[in-house]
Amino acid sequence: MDANTDTPAANSGHAHSKFHTFVQIAMILSVITGIEIVLVYLPFAKWLIISTLVILSAVKFLFVIFYFMHLRWDKVFCTILFFIGLVLALGTVAALLALFGADASQPLTSQITQAHASASLVG
Amino acid sequence: MSSHAATIDHHHDVTTSTGIPNKKLFMWAFLASDCMFFGALISTHLIYRLHPPPGSPSPQKIFSIELTSFSTFILLMSSLLMALAVNAIQKSHIKSTRHNLLGTIFFGLIFLGCQVYEFTHFVHEKGLTLSNSLFGSTFYTLTGTHGCHVAIGVLWLILMYIRSFKPADAEAGRPWLAVAFFHFLTFVVTIVAGMATVLGYFHARQLHEPLGQFVGQNLLAVGTSIVGLAILAFLGRSRVPVEFGEANAIDVESMGLYWHFVDIVWIVIFTAVYLLEYL
Repeated sequence: MDANTDTPAANSGHAHSKFHTFVQIAMILSVITGIEIVLVYLPFAKWLIISTLVILSAVKFLFVIFYFMHLRWDKVFCTILFFIGLVLALGTVAALLALFGADASQPLTSQITQAHASASLVG
Repeated sequence: MSSHAATIDHHHDVTTSTGIPNKKLFMWAFLASDCMFFGALISTHLIYRLHPPPGSPSPQKIFSIELTSFSTFILLMSSLLMALAVNAIQKSHIKSTRHNLLGTIFFGLIFLGCQVYEFTHFVHEKGLTLSNSLFGSTFYTLTGTHGCHVAIGVLWLILMYIRSFKPADAEAGRPWLAVAFFHFLTFVVTIVAGMATVLGYFHARQLHEPLGQFVGQNLLAVGTSIVGLAILAFLGRSRVPVEFGEANAIDVESMGLYWHFVDIVWIVIFTAVYLLEYL
């Protein structure tokens, strides 16, 4: 979008194209959602499906914030402000998943269950 | 992305030294903090899913992918209508703004109705409660918090819709307040009665009850919904020039940012909480 078009005719064209952009993006988002739903039933490797789901969700997320939420046409400071929160949130999620995904973080109940299972196997 | 794109930031609002209107700056700062809030809730849910305690429920047997996919689609479409409402008010198209706001409210209510149905179904038929498993605790906390955000968004949308009827004539302001209050009250009563009707209808269908029996048993809810809708249609007629216009674009836009945020949070929840369970 050209931000330097200030004539009424240009503004009308700009608004008109924006309407179509919004509708097209909504269609794209719906199609991506459909692909996501079908994807979980396909017999592919788990890591491949999870990676694809994460990428598709990220694409949907970016489409919404940059088009529906106008970040594409707004001042860059809005993007920076939002991404500060987003990066902190993603960092927290990644750190927590890394910490609690480790074997050392297995809850005691699981260890007890495993110990019981191995004891019964030996017995 | 263009840092000098002065297409939106000039709608009669006090700007800061950054050149961004106060209301918009506040909303972006709030949404950034809300990202961290939801990040914490989502990671808590995922962590407990990594190590399910013995006897944990199987989410695959509880979830309904059809209902969740439908809710996702509805929320996406409500986002489109919200974007169109912002687009319309920036061009001073009041009627179009109202229609799009009403559409967004309607879709938001469908989403909430689906969530109420889902929670009721999970509790009464699948036995998943807030306190009988870790999965239930984190699931209801996360999706319930998101639902609260949607409900607040719907309330905000209704208030903005009613505000769009404020007459331009200042002397007409005092009676307008009473009318606005009545308008709001009608919305609340119609929504509650409407939801009771729709949920009652689906319940009756599950029990294979005939339509006549359903109407007979839910006469109050059905009647209130119809009368409420008729009053809303009457109040929705625009008779006098209104104050609402392009000057309020920033208000609608701020509300739109909040609504789209609710949508993007659901995009993440849909993948992280629901779809991953089907792998």
